[in-house]
Amino acid sequence: MFSHIRNGLALAAGLALLSPLAQASKADDTLVAAFQAQLPSLDRYHAPGREGFLLGLLAYDALLYRDPNTLEVKPLLATAWRQINPTVWEFDLRKGVKFHDGVEMTAEDVKFSLEYAADEKNRVFNRMTGGWIKSVDVINPYKVRINAEAVTPLAIEYLIQLPIIPKAYREKVGLEAFGQRPVGTGPYKVAKGKGNEIVFTRNDEYFEGGGKSKPKIKTLIYRNIPDVNTQVAELISGGVDWAYYIPNDQAARIERMPNITVKNAETFRIGFITLDAAGLSDPNSPLKNVKVRQAIAYAIDRQAIASKLVGGSSKPVNAACTPSQFGCTQNVTTYKYDPAKAKALMAEAGYKDGFSIDVYGYRSRPVAEAIIGNLNAIGIHANLRWQQYSAVIQQRRDHKTPIVIDDYGSAGVADAGGILPFFFAESPDDQSRDPIVTEAVQKAGSIADQAQRKVLYAKALNRIAEQAYWVPLFTMPVNYVFAKNLSIPIPGDENVEFWRAEWK
Amino acid sequence: MRTFIARRLGVSLLVLLTISTLSFVLLKASGDLAISLAGEGSGADYVAFLRKTYGWDRPILVQYADWLWRLLRGDLGTSFYYGSPVLEIIAERLPVTLKLGAFAIFMALGVAFPLGSLAALRPDGWMDRVAMFIAMVGQATPIFWFSFVLILILGLNLAVLPISGGGTTAHFVMPSIALAFYAMPAIIRIVRGGMIEALASDYIRTARAKGLRPWAVIVRHALRNTLVPVVAIASVQFGFLLGGSVVVETIFALHGIGYLTWEAISQNDYPVVQASVLVVSAFYVVLTLLADLLNMLIDPRIRHD
Amino acid sequence: MTKPISATPSAVLSRTAVLALLTRWCPHNWRLGLGSSILLLILLCAIFAPWLAPHSPYDQSLTDRLLRPMFMEGGSWAHPLGTDHLGRDYLSRLLYGARFSLLVGFGTIVLSAFIGIGMGVAAGYFAGKVDLIVMFILTVRLSLPIMLATLAIVGLLGNSLPLMMLVLACFLWDHFLVVARSLTLRLREAEFVLAAKASGYSDLRIMISEILPNLVGPLVVVATLEMGHAILLEAAFSFLGLGIRPPDASWGLMIAEAKDFVFFEPWLVNIPGLAIFILITAITLLGAGLQRLLVKD
Repeated sequence: MFSHIRNGLALAAGLALLSPLAQASKADDTLVAAFQAQLPSLDRYHAPGREGFLLGLLAYDALLYRDPNTLEVKPLLATAWRQINPTVWEFDLRKGVKFHDGVEMTAEDVKFSLEYAADEKNRVFNRMTGGWIKSVDVINPYKVRINAEAVTPLAIEYLIQLPIIPKAYREKVGLEAFGQRPVGTGPYKVAKGKGNEIVFTRNDEYFEGGGKSKPKIKTLIYRNIPDVNTQVAELISGGVDWAYYIPNDQAARIERMPNITVKNAETFRIGFITLDAAGLSDPNSPLKNVKVRQAIAYAIDRQAIASKLVGGSSKPVNAACTPSQFGCTQNVTTYKYDPAKAKALMAEAGYKDGFSIDVYGYRSRPVAEAIIGNLNAIGIHANLRWQQYSAVIQQRRDHKTPIVIDDYGSAGVADAGGILPFFFAESPDDQSRDPIVTEAVQKAGSIADQAQRKVLYAKALNRIAEQAYWVPLFTMPVNYVFAKNLSIPIPGDENVEFWRAEWK
Repeated sequence: MRTFIARRLGVSLLVLLTISTLSFVLLKASGDLAISLAGEGSGADYVAFLRKTYGWDRPILVQYADWLWRLLRGDLGTSFYYGSPVLEIIAERLPVTLKLGAFAIFMALGVAFPLGSLAALRPDGWMDRVAMFIAMVGQATPIFWFSFVLILILGLNLAVLPISGGGTTAHFVMPSIALAFYAMPAIIRIVRGGMIEALASDYIRTARAKGLRPWAVIVRHALRNTLVPVVAIASVQFGFLLGGSVVVETIFALHGIGYLTWEAISQNDYPVVQASVLVVSAFYVVLTLLADLLNMLIDPRIRHD
Repeated sequence: MTKPISATPSAVLSRTAVLALLTRWCPHNWRLGLGSSILLLILLCAIFAPWLAPHSPYDQSLTDRLLRPMFMEGGSWAHPLGTDHLGRDYLSRLLYGARFSLLVGFGTIVLSAFIGIGMGVAAGYFAGKVDLIVMFILTVRLSLPIMLATLAIVGLLGNSLPLMMLVLACFLWDHFLVVARSLTLRLREAEFVLAAKASGYSDLRIMISEILPNLVGPLVVVATLEMGHAILLEAAFSFLGLGIRPPDASWGLMIAEAKDFVFFEPWLVNIPGLAIFILITAITLLGAGLQRLLVKD
């Protein structure tokens, strides 16, 4: 059995000598991209997480498009737009755009899609993006007006995330079938969407003139590989051409391979811990005590985790938003790593001997383990419940999760309004239910005066930090790892433009 | 003979009924389905509405009867995660696991059968020691560790086999080897034990006394005699592999039943978890039933047991 | 795993029998010697882990992560087996991890032996309808795929150490039952049993004081083998994230936590992998040795 060890070591050394394998992908013009998450539905409105967002960009189009690097808003299904009054927008639609089933896209489809997203009964995944819409008026087949419930400063940012789906087809096949065989106008069509693979083929009819373009690579395969390790092995052996969120440890090591490129890029994503301060999961939760929450904030060595585990340019954050976002002041109560103080606070709160509690997580296991180690050191015994993203979020919305180790990319919205309304202000994921925060966030989301919005966000963020409703952790740069013979744009907001990828 | 078949069938049906009852209890014990299904912090009225729609407000026995009745018609419920019928999902995944299990059992038998037979020729001889050593190593090696070693050697260093996914038959080779290695020790032991017994039996001794060479004895007489246990082992081990493939399927990202179960656990998709255990067990019950009937045909003595 | 149990009844374990056993504990039985010594060593490591471990198994230091073990280049005696991805001392975690493996092994076996032997002896002693029922329960148990079923139960009911042991115990009693039943069946007509019956002893008393002592040998063999089975299952559970929870250390969990490094720092996976391998091998040897000592004549 010692040969096992020796073998293993020899193999590790051998990896470095591995010659680049023939990349079959280039020959048959197929890009294989690996993802950790599986999509339960291919209906963009019911597909969660970043992968849902990418699906939206591949198979569907929204009215507008945002450049992933400059964040400039560009035309897409709409060619021009104007604000008629504080709550009404008008859009001129592109003529001659065809859905994948050959039917032309018109104002009726836009009305249907946006009103679908707006209707709470439809339970779309991200209600923030559609909830502000009151109604959509069809002026003529190529012109619509969107009426908002109230002033919505982020309306354009939300519209970027709302794909237009074909009314006729969707009504004919129904929710479930649409989730399996979706139809959109996007640069890629869904050819096959079952099992662990979704096969996208190029939409040769894709229109020019919008912010997106006709794909260069014919076939794109979305392969679900939940195990990072297997993803890494596949990248090395050439079975997968592209993957992201590869942990720094592995990324740094496979960078030495001759056939691999690694790019670390800044994102809007931050990591944080949500705490059930309102006691939704348990009326006797120790987390209702502000001292316990502060103790948790003091207990976590964010600096070390950021620099050693997350890596890249990751830095600790103090406020509940991405530092580069508008209104995201970092000038709030900060909790520097101090286990002694944390223990003292625990004792003051009456938990000298600690307690045990469920902690949910889904993304980076090593980070979660480090956090659990930190909590253990102050007497908080965590029962780690490691599940899929959608299951964890679902349970938080069901009021079952005391603590969630979470992260959020704000959908690339460069405004604190991209994150706060999702997690506070009585949203399904709001675990603090603090009226002060709710009032400030709701007001900031319904006025146009930027200076005043900034003041309101600062008020909310200060309250959140003071009460330690969240433990903000760090920024999360992403590692993109891909084949050397692939040229693919690196986005600033995680929205990868696969249609611009090409073989070298 | 007819009574034997009837009895055997009766037992199988009873076992299936018991297993389905157990899985119903398990599902009920796992929490309030209405709350899980409602999701997203739904109001109490919606939960109550769901409870009524699905009939979860009725007495437990009525629910059970209803559930059984649906089961008989092939209705295994609806997945919380995918929103589609559980039966459809399982039907999609089952062939992958069956293919994997079939490959693995053939590989395991292919190695273990000759090895076990050779070992039995001379107990405590060097061949026996080698066989028992292999069996011991196979038994003591955690399957997940062995899988990684395979990936290192065959997938990365020699780069002869694909590492993950189930697209082609080549994708099944490594997981099958891992699973075969896992099942092999038991088969070696059983074959060895059966063969030793057979070789010691009277008619073999007679054959030997007649001057037949050991090989001829094994091939002509003893092997035929061990066919019965082999059919039994194959069916038992096949069922064992169906369950044991969870780890292998997870590591090699092979989307079979085992992977589905693990995945469904991490998605809180209770109906899928329950149904996959039920389906695999039912499969096993049917398989052993068939094996028993087959053995009855091979060896008439069994009928009188 | 199959149990190579030949179903011959053992000698009555009287004092003289024990003496006879000890005299037979001879150098010829190297399996027994080697297996029990290794197991004893691991047991001592587990018991004295707090004194043997150079560090706390929970102390994480992210600046000292992934240090290599002393037998590799760049290793040092400060961390003889290196450190894991969170900078925790690997030797300490390995020592503490032995506790969980053995705890799960012993705990499960005690429970499952209780279930299996109870049912097996009852079935063999009463025969008839009781036997029929017990055999039916056995058939049901055997048609539930152990890994899948236990995983589903632990997954649905939430994982905790006691629940895991209970669930494993509920699935690992089948060999106890088979052996206990077949041996009891042969003993029920034995003279000393009939004599006890004639003296008016209760059935329970006969089963416990007359029959059970005769089953000890073969059942001990079953117990060792099932213990190996339980330990491997625990490792698989922890590997799948449903067993021992972090930050506690179990060997299966250590492999799971190290698996992201398998291609680059394979020693992280190989050390706990080897530990499980050695433990299971020791148990198997012990079982084989005990079988030769207690069962086969």
